[in-house]
Amino acid sequence: MKGLARDLGRLVAKERVRTDPEDLFAYGGDATYYVKRGKPDAVVLPENTSEVSEVMKYAFHNAIPVTPRGAGSGLSGGCTPLHGGIVLDMKRMGRILEINRRNMSARVEAGVVLADFHKAVKKQGLFYPPNPQSMNVCTLGGNVATRACGPHGVKYGATGDYVMGLEVVLPDGSVIAPGGLAARSSAGYDLTHLFAGSEGTLGVITKANLRLLALPPAHRTAVVACESIEQAGDTVSEILAGGTLPAMIEFIPQMAIVAMNNYITPPLITEGQAYLLIALDGTQDEIQAQADEILGICRRMGVLDIRVIEDEKEAETYWTARSNLGGMLLTMMKKAINEDVAVPRDRIPEFVREIQNMASTLSKVVLGIAGHAGDGNMHPSIFFPEVNSEAEKEAQETVKKVVRLGLSLGGTVSGEHGIGFHKAEFLHWELGEVQIRLLKRIKKAFDPKGIMNPGKLWKDGR
Amino acid sequence: MHDLEPYRDMMAKCSHCGLCQATCPVYLEDFLQTHLARARMDLIRAVLLEGEIPVTKRFREVLDRCLLCTNCSRTCPAGVPVDEIIAAARNQVYQGKRRDPVRRQLLRRFMNQRGMKGLMGMAGSVAHKMGWTPEELPAPASKPFEKRFKGRIPAKGKARARVAYFVGCATNTLYPDTGKAVINVLAHNDIEVLIPEGQVCCGMPALAEGDLPLVQEMMRKNVPVLAGCDVDAVVTDCTSCGMMFKAKAAKTLPEDDPLRPQAEALAEKVWEVTDYLNQIGLTAEPPPLPESYTYHIPCHRGWTPTVDDAPRNLLGKIPEAELIELENPDKCCGAGGTFFMDFKELAADIRTGKLADIRQTGAKTVLTQCPACRSFLRTQFEDGQVTHPIVLLAKAYGI
Repeated sequence: MKGLARDLGRLVAKERVRTDPEDLFAYGGDATYYVKRGKPDAVVLPENTSEVSEVMKYAFHNAIPVTPRGAGSGLSGGCTPLHGGIVLDMKRMGRILEINRRNMSARVEAGVVLADFHKAVKKQGLFYPPNPQSMNVCTLGGNVATRACGPHGVKYGATGDYVMGLEVVLPDGSVIAPGGLAARSSAGYDLTHLFAGSEGTLGVITKANLRLLALPPAHRTAVVACESIEQAGDTVSEILAGGTLPAMIEFIPQMAIVAMNNYITPPLITEGQAYLLIALDGTQDEIQAQADEILGICRRMGVLDIRVIEDEKEAETYWTARSNLGGMLLTMMKKAINEDVAVPRDRIPEFVREIQNMASTLSKVVLGIAGHAGDGNMHPSIFFPEVNSEAEKEAQETVKKVVRLGLSLGGTVSGEHGIGFHKAEFLHWELGEVQIRLLKRIKKAFDPKGIMNPGKLWKDGR
Repeated sequence: MHDLEPYRDMMAKCSHCGLCQATCPVYLEDFLQTHLARARMDLIRAVLLEGEIPVTKRFREVLDRCLLCTNCSRTCPAGVPVDEIIAAARNQVYQGKRRDPVRRQLLRRFMNQRGMKGLMGMAGSVAHKMGWTPEELPAPASKPFEKRFKGRIPAKGKARARVAYFVGCATNTLYPDTGKAVINVLAHNDIEVLIPEGQVCCGMPALAEGDLPLVQEMMRKNVPVLAGCDVDAVVTDCTSCGMMFKAKAAKTLPEDDPLRPQAEALAEKVWEVTDYLNQIGLTAEPPPLPESYTYHIPCHRGWTPTVDDAPRNLLGKIPEAELIELENPDKCCGAGGTFFMDFKELAADIRTGKLADIRQTGAKTVLTQCPACRSFLRTQFEDGQVTHPIVLLAKAYGI
């Protein structure tokens, strides 16, 4: 592939084209690397849209697969270069181009890290709600490409709800800018939101216009220890049905609390079977009223313990621990598979109950559930105390059962992680062949040569 | 760290979540996945444990282009000790021969024999005048710390504690002012100080060189000397020396090494000096010092939960002294021991960000407990001074 490196080196500065075996190895995928990894033929780190365009023109002409990637923190293998070719690492396009307070909007490049963006808008008294738990590293481009969400989803919705417009390089290198900076648009097909969630299969997202909100003036965090998983599920339903809308409601199982306690002072009681980590935001009066309402509900439900954390810095330790949960559990287990089946809110208790029944039948792996209970985005996870073929087999069977359960309750195979290659098979279950055929025709219209991130979304991926 | 094999399971715990991207100073300049902990772990496994990929120049660069700052180890939710694994990998790849023989010999002699220091100091002085040393290194002090202070320094009043002082190489040769402040402030606060004879380099630079046999040699000198002292604590002014004795020393020795229990016992007693003073409390109230300063937290801070806040709390007791916080006080400065000599441009780029943050505060005094940060920052911080927090406390006391 010497020719490839040479050719790309003419389009982009040589040091930003990488073809050493070690570099190609490092770009094999994301957090699903243990399922499958790919190997690109070249890695390119573009610094602007015209470089992306040049690389795409070249790839289009030579029918070379292109896989764009942000931080590679994905949990579905969206950026795994299954068919080799060029990986476009977008991290060097990391500029915040504008934060417009008067229009409550921002223009950013795809490689901006979400947490940096949070900080930048906060400085201006503004707020960008999506907060996937990889927010310290994940990129806005990746967030748009997967319609990422996070705990704020319950009150504020997902990334797709904040995308006003995009700049996209199409597979043939042409640059389009669907949407804009106006709050509303009824101008034909909504291509902006077709690219949101397209996982790099239609083109390369290079810039995004994002909607901002005013920063809520006050925050409060509470932890509720429940005696059973069912009680936790029912409490969530009661809180939401009662008309209180917390900024976040996270469902955390007992196993995870033991790990989280390393980060929390004083540690939480560990007798609960399930815990709810709740954040409230708004004015002081609003959060006080919400807190009173929630405390009332929790008492009526007879929960084991309620802790309210007033100090924001202290509250942060709880949320950091929550963010790090996935990795932390690996201090106790050898391997984990994270799913993100989402179910309608009213089916949460049922879903949780069934998962618990399923968990009790397993012998080689542990099935746990933690997630954004507020919007039914429940993250069942499978943990391996030991990794061996029997455990792998049981894990695979369990994943399928979990997905079928979620779908039977009217849910979806992916609440926020996206499909990638990891859930391609399940997308067929959810959408059916007619819809899949339609998706393929849409893909063909954008990407006639099938070079954009091949192998993703559906089983054959083209 | 003497062997990679015991780290196999820990390396497997890396889930490739990629959270290491948030704090790796090298990645945040390069934006290249290859230079990120998760890729380094994966490559070390594939190259050195499985032999899937041969050892190449590029692989060595991936190993070398790491500051051993420990940021990723502290960020990793799964607790993978990345820095130790990289040190072990360097040891396996280089077997003590990372440098050419001349530089290797210099390092060995300089670090491993304190008695040579006078001579080495002179040689260093000449080298500095001739421009043979990196500009980031200051000229060696005319008289090293060990030639000026020896033995036992009595407490000013009735001794309430007794400590052994481990004098790092940088304090000994480059910054004896720090050492002087350490013993004076401790004594002033009714703590008796012993300066044990026979101490040599803590071993951190040798560890970074991938020279485990040399680290072990140093441990065999230092551990008996320090562990043999009848003291309440062993203090050091350098966070890297502290980390070495507290968190790494025992791990550099084979499991069945008879010195290991002694190294583990010693670790229990090790403190960074401001952390120790903050914990034991001051008996002498500091007089007012109308000076503002900012504080850069060295990367080697994860070995104790309190060392990063210790200077803030301790110097907060000086009336009228004002701390102006950096926006990112814990961001790396780029020095990384001797990293700045090998990767000049990269280190300077990392430093640029740090200096911008420092200048933003307007403070003319930057405090940090790491001598490498001190010298590396000082070179480009013409508008003020960089020194150890204990020096400011000594100044407040007028000692």
